[in-house]
Amino acid sequence: MERDYLISWKAAGISLGLLLILATALVKPLGVSTQFVVSDAAVIHKVAPEFAEENAYLAKYGVKEDWGVGYGWLLVIGMFVGGGIASMLSRKQQPEQDKGSMPPMWKERFGDSMSKRYMAAFGGGVLLLFGARLAGGCTSGHMISGVPQLAVSSFIFAVTGFGAAILMAKFLYRSRPGV
Amino acid sequence: MSTLIIGFLIGCAFGAILYLGGATSYRRILGTLRLKDMWIIKLMGTAIGVGTLGIYLLDLGGLANMSIKPAYIWGVALGGIIFGIGWAVSGFCPGTCVVGAAEGKKDAMMTVGGGLVGALLFSLAFPYIKESLIETANFGNITLASLLGVGGIYLAIGLSVALLGVVFFVLKDKYE
Repeated sequence: MERDYLISWKAAGISLGLLLILATALVKPLGVSTQFVVSDAAVIHKVAPEFAEENAYLAKYGVKEDWGVGYGWLLVIGMFVGGGIASMLSRKQQPEQDKGSMPPMWKERFGDSMSKRYMAAFGGGVLLLFGARLAGGCTSGHMISGVPQLAVSSFIFAVTGFGAAILMAKFLYRSRPGV
Repeated sequence: MSTLIIGFLIGCAFGAILYLGGATSYRRILGTLRLKDMWIIKLMGTAIGVGTLGIYLLDLGGLANMSIKPAYIWGVALGGIIFGIGWAVSGFCPGTCVVGAAEGKKDAMMTVGGGLVGALLFSLAFPYIKESLIETANFGNITLASLLGVGGIYLAIGLSVALLGVVFFVLKDKYE
């Protein structure tokens, strides 16, 4: 059988753990979801400064040095660049089923409508960031970085996040009687 | 070296690892969430196992720049549930959709767009939910170590050994 991965979960997991240690030693642990607010806030501070100042949440982001376009924001830009370069260099080796915008598993279950897939991806994105901002972090900030710091909040997030995701995935892919 | 450059370089490595490790793959994410292919949980368990031990070793030398998130029980739990539903529906999380978009996946780009909207909606909702979900039952920046009154390094060793043990010996070949 053709190899269905680029690097193993062991290689990826160990490198990610070492990267987290390096980031914690040099600056601070990894995090992504805050930067969605920073990006929103940076734009709103430009186009509607009064509105941004009035909102207790947006006022914190996008202007002040600490919360603005800084370390965290460049980290996310780096993710885009690093992921992009890695994918350009290994496009040929990428497993066939992981290419493109229509995952075969989705297609088999929900049909080949692209708009349906895009709507789910967009709606899922809305929930992802609303939930992550309410909880104060996402997979990176809470699970990958928070659990290793033994933060109580991150254990709560890991359990509720994985729990809800597993139940939702089981529901989406439930076996339908008679089909 | 400037903090911004360090951030950029760490981000580059982070993005490359997520892509190469298959974390942007719908097959891997949903395979894990459906409990059929445990790839992502093994990847994360390994990273967390290595990271926990490393961070608390750094901490022994006073070198860890920790950033403990506050434990406001209701907001974190409800946020986790909403996040989890979005994770299963989209097949991405806030980091992997950025990397998926860089790969050229259009569904990942939609998730980035949805994420910007979701973050904005949260900003709008914040004044109304601040008191009930974030200020109530907020125990501050507590860790398991401070909560239990045990040295962090002992808990870290325990958690690392347990996680790596489960990942490498229990889940190792299962579902592969």
